[in-house]
Order: sequence, then C-alpha cells, then structure tokens
Amino acid sequence: MSIPPIIFSREPNQWANPLSNRRMDRAETEAIREVLGGNRDAYRVLMDRHFSSVARVAFRITGNEEDAEEVAQETFLRAYNKLPSFREDSAFSTWIVRITMNTAINLVERRNRDLSYRAPRIADEPSAAEGTVRVADGQAGPEGELLGREAASLRETAMAALTPMERAAFTMRHMEEVPMSEIAGALNITVNSAKQAVFRAVSKLRRSLAPVAGGLR
Amino acid sequence: MKHLPEEDLIAYQLHESSNETAIRRHLEECVDCAAVSESIAETLRVFSAEPVPKLDLERNWQRLRGNLSVLGADQPKRFGLRWKLIWSAIGLAMAALLVVVFIASHGSFTMKTRPNLAINGHGPLTTEPRDPAIADHLDSAERLLTEVNNTQGPLDEITREQAHHLLLKNAIYVHAARESGDVAQAAVLENLGRVLTTLDNEPETPHSTWRLRLEMNTSGLLLDIRILRQNDDRNQGAAQ
Repeated sequence: MSIPPIIFSREPNQWANPLSNRRMDRAETEAIREVLGGNRDAYRVLMDRHFSSVARVAFRITGNEEDAEEVAQETFLRAYNKLPSFREDSAFSTWIVRITMNTAINLVERRNRDLSYRAPRIADEPSAAEGTVRVADGQAGPEGELLGREAASLRETAMAALTPMERAAFTMRHMEEVPMSEIAGALNITVNSAKQAVFRAVSKLRRSLAPVAGGLR
Repeated sequence: MKHLPEEDLIAYQLHESSNETAIRRHLEECVDCAAVSESIAETLRVFSAEPVPKLDLERNWQRLRGNLSVLGADQPKRFGLRWKLIWSAIGLAMAALLVVVFIASHGSFTMKTRPNLAINGHGPLTTEPRDPAIADHLDSAERLLTEVNNTQGPLDEITREQAHHLLLKNAIYVHAARESGDVAQAAVLENLGRVLTTLDNEPETPHSTWRLRLEMNTSGLLLDIRILRQNDDRNQGAAQ
C-alpha cells in the first residue's frame, strides 16, 4: 500500500517579530515602577504580555517543551532580578527576548555537555522516500503516523546536529522571520556572523536530508 | 558554465542575497544550480515553522512567584538620588585617600591579593568582573570559544579575525586584573589569552582545531569564563 507523499507546507507566521522594538505602553512602565517599589505581583502584568513570545523563542531554540519551560522560568527570573538596571528607553519585549535567546543557547550548550542527558530516541536509520519527506496528516492511519514520527525524528536529529548558535540564528530567521540585524544584536555578534550561522545551518540541514531526498545534488 | 556556491543559493532562497536578479537569471540557464537551489528550498520547507506548544501561564507564574524576592523601595531611583550618590562617592574617595596617605607614611606598603579560590574547580569562583567592558569581553570570548568548540574542521577567516581582536583586548584586561590584585580573574584571562593566541596562529588543518578543542575542554576554560561572566551583575546590560 503506498501513501501519497505529503510535503510540509510553510505556515504563515502568525506572530509579530518577537524582537520588534515596539515601545512600552503606560501599563508596562507602571508595572516596572511598582515592581521596583516592592510589589512583586505587578510583575504578572509583564509576564502576561510576554510569556507567549518568550516561550515560543525558547521552544524554537531548545526544541522541546520541558526545556522551553525551564528557559522561560529562568528568563523571567533573571529579568526580574535585573529589572533595577533595565533602561526604560528600550522596549521590555526586545530586552526579555534577548535574555531568552541567550538563556536558551546556554541551556542547549549545557545539555550538549552533559553526557548523561537522555535525548529523545533517534531512529537507527532514516527511511528513504521518493524525493520528498513524508509526514502524516491529521487523518493519517497507523502507517501514516509512523511516517510522521519518523519524519519528526529525522528533523530532530538534524536540528540536534546544529550548534546552539546556528540553531538559534536559523530558527529566528527562518521560522520567526526576524531580520538578520536583530538576530545579530540579540546574539551579540556581527550581522555577517549571524548570516554565516544561518547559512551553515541550512547547509547542514540539507545534507541531513540527503538520505531521504535521494542524495545531494 | 561556472556554478554558483551553495552559500549564494541559500542566501537567494532566504531572500538575503544582494544579487537576486543575477542569480535568478543564472538559475534559468544552469540546470545543476537550479537543482541545488530547489533542494535548498525543499530543506527550508521541511524545516518550516511548526506549531509551538502552549505553556501554562498560570502554573508558570505561580512557580516563578515563589522565587521572586521583593525588590525594596530602597532600590536606587536613578535620577532622584544621583547627587546623593555623587557626594557619597566623593566622601569615600577622600576617606580612601586618607587611608593611603596614612599607610604610606607608616612603613612599607604591600599589595594584598585576593585568594585564588576557583581555578579549574578548586572552589567557587567568587571574584567578579567589576568593569562592564570586561563582562562584554568575556561574553564575546565565550561565544567565540563555544563556536570553535562546535566547529568541524579548520577555522574560517571571520573566526580568526575575532580571535585576533579579542587577543589584543585580552592583554589589557589581564594587565588590569593583575594591577587590581584579582588573581583569579587574571588567571582565567591568561588562560583565555593562551587559547586565543593558538586560535590566532592556528594553521589551516583540521587536526590543530581538534587539539585546541581538547585543550579547551580539559582546562575548563569555558566553564571558568561562564562563571566569571555570570557573576557579573551588570552583564545583562550588554544584552539590552
């Protein structure tokens, strides 16, 4: 029984650029003043507004929900403790997403160093298909689900082979559509280095698909 | 026909190319480059954005709240207390000057150094970079070393330039750390200097990169830099 190949479709990015330098409104400014005045519950206002973008960036870079949650927690804690030094002439959203990216990169590096860390199981051999990667759709049967899991595993393996910097730069540029200059600023590197990191990532990912895409051309 | 490098085709597919028209024209004529370009496009489709799981805000807030200390009302209000701080600083400087004069006039002066508590795992690293410029320097060094640590094969030109630039700055910071008697910080920076020197002069062979990587791993340099950097309260200012 053959299953028609289903190609990943590119989803339109339904969120705004997480690093967009939008100005803080009065509620955020007021919340920061209150926190600095001793009212820690006022921090909830900032968390309400920025938790989803922090979690999204954290998930893109770490690749799993548990680590994304850990990064989100650490990010908000670090931002809270650094709040007295926060300059209000920049946007809180930009500031906290930058902290998120750095925290997530650090976590991925720690995970890579920790040999005892149990990564998700990786399929022994990728499956070959006819020039495309097959994935399961919503109504797929058991065989389709198996293919879907295999494709997800293949993608996880390929992403895991990227350095944390490459992964962060690639996911921010390609999945979140953040401009290179902003990625470079967040990662504290030059625009050229950010571009090189993204290009290296794409090149590595392309090679990782070679076994299922019928070899590199 | 001369083929385009993969990097140019990736830039084209990501709409980062400054030469998009010329590349498009080339792809219309060159079957090989068109195939590579399509393969890159397919890769980007496969790794396109997937839905992100929604994390529980309420649970995360409750978990976080327990870890939040109360930032007291005595936090410096940067503008209102500026003059108070300036006068305090002047008072402290005068007091320090009097102490120096007193010591100088009562016998020989020997510089006390802070104990070296934390070189490569012999204890917690308690010394902190007080200068934000050093914190930035450590941050850049950490990124560079992390990148090198994860790089396969010989180093590219940009990495070498970064290493060279950091090496020049590092010498100044080593000197400053020694001058201030901060032995632990000076030791970490000296160790960093040795690795940067190797990076700066490394011949273009994959073998030497492996040797360098091994050296970095065994010396625990990255770990020392991270601890030193993360101790710095002002470090996050660089991320703003």
